[in-house]
Amino acid sequence: LSYLFYSFFKSLVGKDVVVELKNDLSICGTLHSVDQYLNIKLTDISVTDPEKYPHMLSVKNCFIRGSVVRYVQLPADEVDTQLLQDAARKEALQQKQ
Amino acid sequence: MSDSAIQETEAAVSPLQWPENGDQWSDTEEGGIDMEECGLAAMAEEDEEINIYNNETFGSDMDTVVENEGHPINSLPQLDEQPPEPPSSPSLPSLSPSSPSFSPRTKPQFQIQFPPGLRGRGRVPRGGQAMAQMFEDPAVVTTVEGRQSLQRLDSSIVDFGSVSHWDDPAPDSRMFPSYGRTRYISGSVLQDPAIVYVMDSHMSSRGPNYPLSSSRWRRGGPRGSYSNRPFVQRCPPQMSPLMPRSPIISRQPFTPQQPYNQTRSFLSSSPRPCPSTPQPLTPKMMQLRFGANSPRPFPFYSPSSNPVHRFRFPGPVTQLHPQHRRLLSQRQPRSQRKPDWDPYCNIMSAKEKEWIIRLQMIQLQSENPNLDDYYYQEYYRRMEAKLAEEELGMRGKREPPKLTTPYVTKTESYTPVVHIEGSLGQVAVSTCFNPRRAIDAVTAHCPHEELKDLRQQRLDVLKKIEKLFMVLLDVEEGQRMKAHVLGEGEESRLMERTQRKVEYIFSQFQNPCPLEAGDEFLPCLLVSKGKRLMARLLPFLSRDAALKVLRVVTFHLPILMSRDTDESLPVLYPPLRTVIGAVTFSQLIGVLKDFTASSPDSSDGSDCLSLACQSKFGLSLLYALLSQGERLLSSDVPLEPSIGDFETWTDTVFLVASQLSQSALVEPLLLPSNLLTLFCRYLDKRTVHQLKSNIESATGHLAPPS
Repeated sequence: LSYLFYSFFKSLVGKDVVVELKNDLSICGTLHSVDQYLNIKLTDISVTDPEKYPHMLSVKNCFIRGSVVRYVQLPADEVDTQLLQDAARKEALQQKQ
Repeated sequence: MSDSAIQETEAAVSPLQWPENGDQWSDTEEGGIDMEECGLAAMAEEDEEINIYNNETFGSDMDTVVENEGHPINSLPQLDEQPPEPPSSPSLPSLSPSSPSFSPRTKPQFQIQFPPGLRGRGRVPRGGQAMAQMFEDPAVVTTVEGRQSLQRLDSSIVDFGSVSHWDDPAPDSRMFPSYGRTRYISGSVLQDPAIVYVMDSHMSSRGPNYPLSSSRWRRGGPRGSYSNRPFVQRCPPQMSPLMPRSPIISRQPFTPQQPYNQTRSFLSSSPRPCPSTPQPLTPKMMQLRFGANSPRPFPFYSPSSNPVHRFRFPGPVTQLHPQHRRLLSQRQPRSQRKPDWDPYCNIMSAKEKEWIIRLQMIQLQSENPNLDDYYYQEYYRRMEAKLAEEELGMRGKREPPKLTTPYVTKTESYTPVVHIEGSLGQVAVSTCFNPRRAIDAVTAHCPHEELKDLRQQRLDVLKKIEKLFMVLLDVEEGQRMKAHVLGEGEESRLMERTQRKVEYIFSQFQNPCPLEAGDEFLPCLLVSKGKRLMARLLPFLSRDAALKVLRVVTFHLPILMSRDTDESLPVLYPPLRTVIGAVTFSQLIGVLKDFTASSPDSSDGSDCLSLACQSKFGLSLLYALLSQGERLLSSDVPLEPSIGDFETWTDTVFLVASQLSQSALVEPLLLPSNLLTLFCRYLDKRTVHQLKSNIESATGHLAPPS
């Protein structure tokens, strides 16, 4: 059971992110919550690319299933890459045991 | 009216082969278009009443749930079973005794499921022309004739007693819903007839223009009948929270034909009491209570592999680190309650939501949050420490009192597939046993050192550094443990173990290389990861070991500086500065000699000093060394210098001063305050002045006054 990225995303709750989906839709919003499957709930969303997705205009909050996410763009200063490396090492160690 | 319409639909559709001849369908065949339109009106009428009722009953909710387009929810394939009664035709007559009123009726109900293609079986069940058009979108569900009595399937409603007959699924009936077959929707809230009803009403009332924009959810009230509309047989293997999204499945505007493919479903005759009686909606407990009356054990009720810890649940809300919570509350101005009616509120009741959230949180209970939740805990712990330091002006570290996931004893066994009572499907457990080979870091081992190419060598070094990092993490963990109160013996043993690990890392880092003495630390140090490792290791090293590292760094400074392409050298500065702060005068002189000697590494004869002027790290190191010398000299500490130390010192100062005044300087990482004092003592005013302006122009601000 891997909680590494769940733990990682949890620390980004409340921050603004852009989620790019596998269907090429990009959604910008505030990360409201995440779960262990990396499903993402965003609030105050807007579609970042030119609004060729007009059906999203009225949507304020959305829930995105983790498996359709291609990328999540994060604010760089909210991420401690060294800590993430350490977390990955610990996880690898744990999984080996 | 609607019933006859439904009958017609079924009559029209049932002769169709389910789904095999999907390619033969054409758009020209008139389906029940007229019928559908009639039925739609009737249903819409119903909806209004329901809407009013719901409006009165429920308040508003903030959440809007929108499904991502084209998102294939893995529906739950499991619950197909052969109906006790034979397929379509005998089920049709059962429709006839229906009355237009809202009395509970026993009718086969239609159940929706996703095209099985999305579930991995590759078949799309379709039921007719009208349906075919609408259901091209995989997100739209198809209807299937199902079995009666949704309410029996609802695990969240505990107060009905009838037991359904759960037969084992026929092998083929699983994936191919047909009018002739029955399906069951298993699982919790889906089975709530109220939800079904609402979904139905929801789907039909919105008409052709607008996808499910409003929902008025009824909780079973006085009316016992429920029209059947498409609702998703959802419980994806993983996510029960996906359930709330089911009513908003289709992204296509509803065509007039659409609602027609659903018939009414009517529940069993017993009028149910309102399910809003407060039930503690905890998964395990529900099952227990339900146990006596429960359906026979079936996949979705299979006993969990770890029954023990189901009993204790954390609060349904995620527990955040206090620092995190503070941050979040600062961000939000709490004025978000809007008075407008949210069309998507009350799709689920609060209890249902709580139930589902609890379901998730169970899986997140961990007996070792420090490990499982390492990143999050550590991140906020550090942030807290930083803020505390800033506020109080001192370095005080307090352990955060709260955990994100509470301690629970976990079973030892590794369960590849986890099942939770009352849920549909199984939870996929991701592990890293078979990670993707994202980087080509695994290569065959080459026995001879010389034959390895550069890339292989680099990989070897990286692998080695990674191993050392693991040990370093243990060391750091050990130091953290020291903060806790340990027994005397324990603490000494821990320190001993830690020390051994430190020595191990140091020796490995040193990498005694038979070819060239003095080249020892270089392979690891040349890699930025190695520099980081060393930076974190330095605080743990003994004075001698640390001094050795310092000398190596200064000795090889030119090559380190030139090969520092990603500028990771500065990471070594803070720990080295600490080391410098602890050296004796003689040791300092030794280090400075390395600095000023023309380095063997440089090919073009330019010495270390001139190169250092161009490097942030190099210059900062130099400043730090000089500053230490000045500090030692002006303090009262007995210096115990060796012979020639003072001369070397003076010479060095002059040399450095002349170099500094000549070359353009980069901005150092830190400018020690006693530097100019030092220069003033040895040099004439003019030189000092020149130096000062040179340094200042580099730093962009005034150097501290001498």
